[in-house]
Amino acid sequence: MLNAKIPAGPLNTKWEDYKGHCKLVNPANKRNLEIIVIGTGLAGASAAASLGELGYKVKAFCFQDSPRRAHSIAAQGGINAAKNYQNDGDSVYRLFYDTVKGGDYRSREANVHRLAEVSGNIIDQCVAQGVPFAREYGGLLSNRSFGGTQVQRTFYAAGQTGQQLLLGAYSALERQVALGNVTQYSRHEMLDIVKIDGKARGIIARNLITGQLERHFGHAVLICSGGYGNVFFLSTNAMGSNVTAAWKATQTGAYFANPCFTQIHPTCIPVSGDHQSKLTLMSESLRNDGRIWVPKKKDDNRKSSDIPEDERDYYLERRYPAFGNLVPRDVASRAAKERCDAGYGVGTSKQAVYLDFAAAIERYGSIEANKRQMHGVSKEEIIKLGKEVVAEKYGNLFDMYAKITGENPYETPMRIYPAVHYTMGGLWVDYELQTTVPGLYSLGEANFSDHGANRLGASALMQGLADGYFVLPYTIGNYLADEIRVKAIPTDHPAFAEAESKVRDNIAKLMSIKGTKSVDFFHKKLGKIMWDKCGMARNEQGLKEAIEEIKVLRGEFYKDVRIPGDENEFNPELEKAGRVADFLELGELMCIDALNRRESCGGHFREESQTEEGEAKRDDENFSYVAAWEYKGPSDYVLHKEPLVFEEVKPTQRSYK
Amino acid sequence: MKWSQFFNTSIGKKLLVGATGFFLCSFVLVHLAGNLQLLYKDGGKAFNTYAQFMGHNSLIQFLAWGLKIVILLHAFVALQLTISNRAARPVKYQVNPGNQTSSWYSRQMAIMGSILLIFIVVHLAQLWAPFHYSEMPTQSYEGVSEPIKDLYSVTYALFQNPLWVVLYVVGMAALSFHLVHGFKSAFQTFGLNHSKYNGLINFIGIWLFAVAIPIGFAAIPVVIYLNK
Amino acid sequence: MEHYNMNLTLKVWRQKNKNAQGNFETLQAKNISSEMSFLEMFDVVNEELINEGKEPVAFDHDCREGICGMCSMHINGRAHGPWDGTTTCQLHMRAFKDGDTITVEPWRAGAFPVLKDLTVDRTAFDRIIEAGGYVSVNTGNAQDANNIPIEKHKADLAFAAAACIGCGACVAACKNSSAMLFVSAKVSQLALLPQGQPEKRTRALNMVAQMDKEGFGSCTNTGACEAECPKEISLTNIARLNREFINAGFTSEK
Repeated sequence: MLNAKIPAGPLNTKWEDYKGHCKLVNPANKRNLEIIVIGTGLAGASAAASLGELGYKVKAFCFQDSPRRAHSIAAQGGINAAKNYQNDGDSVYRLFYDTVKGGDYRSREANVHRLAEVSGNIIDQCVAQGVPFAREYGGLLSNRSFGGTQVQRTFYAAGQTGQQLLLGAYSALERQVALGNVTQYSRHEMLDIVKIDGKARGIIARNLITGQLERHFGHAVLICSGGYGNVFFLSTNAMGSNVTAAWKATQTGAYFANPCFTQIHPTCIPVSGDHQSKLTLMSESLRNDGRIWVPKKKDDNRKSSDIPEDERDYYLERRYPAFGNLVPRDVASRAAKERCDAGYGVGTSKQAVYLDFAAAIERYGSIEANKRQMHGVSKEEIIKLGKEVVAEKYGNLFDMYAKITGENPYETPMRIYPAVHYTMGGLWVDYELQTTVPGLYSLGEANFSDHGANRLGASALMQGLADGYFVLPYTIGNYLADEIRVKAIPTDHPAFAEAESKVRDNIAKLMSIKGTKSVDFFHKKLGKIMWDKCGMARNEQGLKEAIEEIKVLRGEFYKDVRIPGDENEFNPELEKAGRVADFLELGELMCIDALNRRESCGGHFREESQTEEGEAKRDDENFSYVAAWEYKGPSDYVLHKEPLVFEEVKPTQRSYK
Repeated sequence: MKWSQFFNTSIGKKLLVGATGFFLCSFVLVHLAGNLQLLYKDGGKAFNTYAQFMGHNSLIQFLAWGLKIVILLHAFVALQLTISNRAARPVKYQVNPGNQTSSWYSRQMAIMGSILLIFIVVHLAQLWAPFHYSEMPTQSYEGVSEPIKDLYSVTYALFQNPLWVVLYVVGMAALSFHLVHGFKSAFQTFGLNHSKYNGLINFIGIWLFAVAIPIGFAAIPVVIYLNK
Repeated sequence: MEHYNMNLTLKVWRQKNKNAQGNFETLQAKNISSEMSFLEMFDVVNEELINEGKEPVAFDHDCREGICGMCSMHINGRAHGPWDGTTTCQLHMRAFKDGDTITVEPWRAGAFPVLKDLTVDRTAFDRIIEAGGYVSVNTGNAQDANNIPIEKHKADLAFAAAACIGCGACVAACKNSSAMLFVSAKVSQLALLPQGQPEKRTRALNMVAQMDKEGFGSCTNTGACEAECPKEISLTNIARLNREFINAGFTSEK
């Protein structure tokens, strides 16, 4: 039975109470305790920096050439915090409630409440670091609203919020590097966890430049390696985003929770051809002003400008009058898929819908004309003014769209389509963010804890930083306080030797295949299986087929993959091969999990479980649990359930009508 | 940071180049004002008395030696920077952007500066050194107590040779391109970049220092040559 | 937008590792769609090389949406290629036409040694940030965010400077391999904000000292960095860095 170690007592005092009673490590002992951090995104960089500040000896690893490049950098829209600066009725409770509801009641109340509690501190910390959030003329912070909520609680820095937050955490990290508290290992990839006497005690990492394997000891290991959306090949993730660190943790005994919970983001630039290597997100904030529509007529091939207003179907506004274009991501994505599948899609591929700013441009234009006390202005003039306002708000996104598609979004509506964006599932962690392996922790997107079956916009940044700055630095002390007598274990310990030789054998195995097909060939095939059968809609038959197809594909991969070059050098193909090998196992587990969860919830839509109107239908009686999978070997997983108990929030059918 | 360290940083060295550059800009302004007297049709009275004064006033002489040190310092530090800038890219590009991303004269400050330095050496050897250190015909003027050196006639004689006229014009072209970038660049190095003043700085840099002054200087040999 | 396919000749720098001699190799890119990104074109070329049993071209890339700063190619003499305000990953093949020859080189700077083919080592930038590109505020020290009002205009300028993605195009584009635009972006961001004031002197002095130590050249104000910067970081930031440095140099007591 999984023990989440949730403190007793009322929900809103659990975290206070925990902090008041957890064990502490005295400063002199902290100097002798070593912590390994894998990944330097928001969660990893903030944790490494904070732990360094506390005086622990930290080693921070990333596969990129600098910690600043972790994919948190690409988050566009913003970060939520229950500051209630806008006086519009926000509170910690409301942020907590929205997040649990948005996650379709598949997250753990205590974790989410803690997240909401510390959300305000994150904004304070980031501002203190010099993060240049958007401001009002009075000099105070600006907020906007985001999908799935009715208050303005999102802090942002144009369309580059993730970048600014990550650079803040990165600068804090580099400061600790300069002070000697953190050692930075860039272009290093973790390839195994070393376990001694049941506890995580270090890692084996590959220096990606020289190909050399290195042994690193740590009293604790933190997996902050992000999500696994790249299992779909095409996603909004970076090319290098991977599951390897989390998967090695799984193979070492950490349970993997809710792997089937993936988020498909509704507003991405559609696929343009077979050459496509990744998909680009258009921030959800665009839905604040853009209106989504398709033609009312099937297979309508007219240009968007030739379709008159009354022949346009603003289907989100029609189906969900209360939230309209601002429904949560899972709902918006499914609605787009429904329209396209029914034959109303636009563009050459017919796999796209319009996101139209014409109305917003006119509205802003009139407001601006009023502001400037211009009277009797022509429509052209108003549109010109409106375009200027829209450019100020979303200019960088519009430019990005224009560069990629060659179309001008100020003139013609954007074409958008859903794409894989985020994975709510991840390593199972308890309230202290510890996995089922003692001393092995997981933070940020790599863990499963806070977003249930669907993540609300602007919550990922919040969670990554909450975990790294304000949660783990407390909870890890509770574990390390009992480790102060453990001296650093020399890396010639047999456990290190064994782990290293396992990694070496794995690499040798991959290199020795010398087949005929590239790594990408297999990755694309896996992605197609996942997207078709474990994507926006899933059913029993498809999932069963997918499981078999993935097994076959894995067999082919180990027979026929070709990796040029050799292992003792900088070899990007070898890196990719290792990652795809892990995706080939994870993909199967995702399908197994999706098959097991015979209900629809959040981003997980089982066609067998829907309401008459085609909305997701949960089955709380049978599936109100976290599915945590134990790895026993390839294709061999054991399910452990953590029941979800809702004390504060009553799970109801989610309605955004 | 100690002064020695400060002026050894890349920015510190640039400040030296910029500051000496500003001083040299002020010099060319004054120098041109004096030299234009060569074009007076007064038999050299105005110019020669001016030269006599400049050559014997101790403050001016002090500044004149200072000027030479400033020129050398400007050239020496700029050379140092140029050498380290070249060394910062040990392997060169096969394809360079040319003028797509920057103007050619902004990239050729060292070449323009070197041409100028050669010009200055020749110029000093031809006119300054003889004036100070060797015999020169003299000339008497009404109202001037004793005969003074006739640098005016020496200069006129010099510019009968078209070779020297061309050299001086080339030197001034180098000055023009050196200053069209150098003047505003020095402001940038001193951190003076402000949308309200950039227009004025550019205007002065281009029209006064890169156009009017070099043309003024170049006009002297050209006019003398054409009027022979 | 009309789509078309093209065949291209690539002249690509190949270098086995840091210590090896490199040289240009001519590769053919066949049937390239105008809708591909420049890196997707390289994906196609690499796939072909792998199928032929040859080694693919190594190049840095990650987010492929112009924000991580990892991609770094010098294309036909231009850092990140012919489009302004664009990273290599956002450059699309519409910029080229059938039959073109494209020369692709790595960033060239002594401070950015080539690791393999088009991949260079940019850790010098990390060390410059270590020298002072931060506000010394430990987690938990912060006051309420709205206790620090900041003039909107200054906040916007700070943001414009902070938009730097650390790709190194400024260094690659500069004839002196100067890192002034990179350093000035960080110094400016923090100099414009009240949070950056307590450390402004040491920050300017130490970051410039580290920049020099790494072997970057000095700035001769040609403006090539600004012209090539994918985030269009302004030269006014370099002026601000100069001001900060002068102020610090003349007034610091140590």
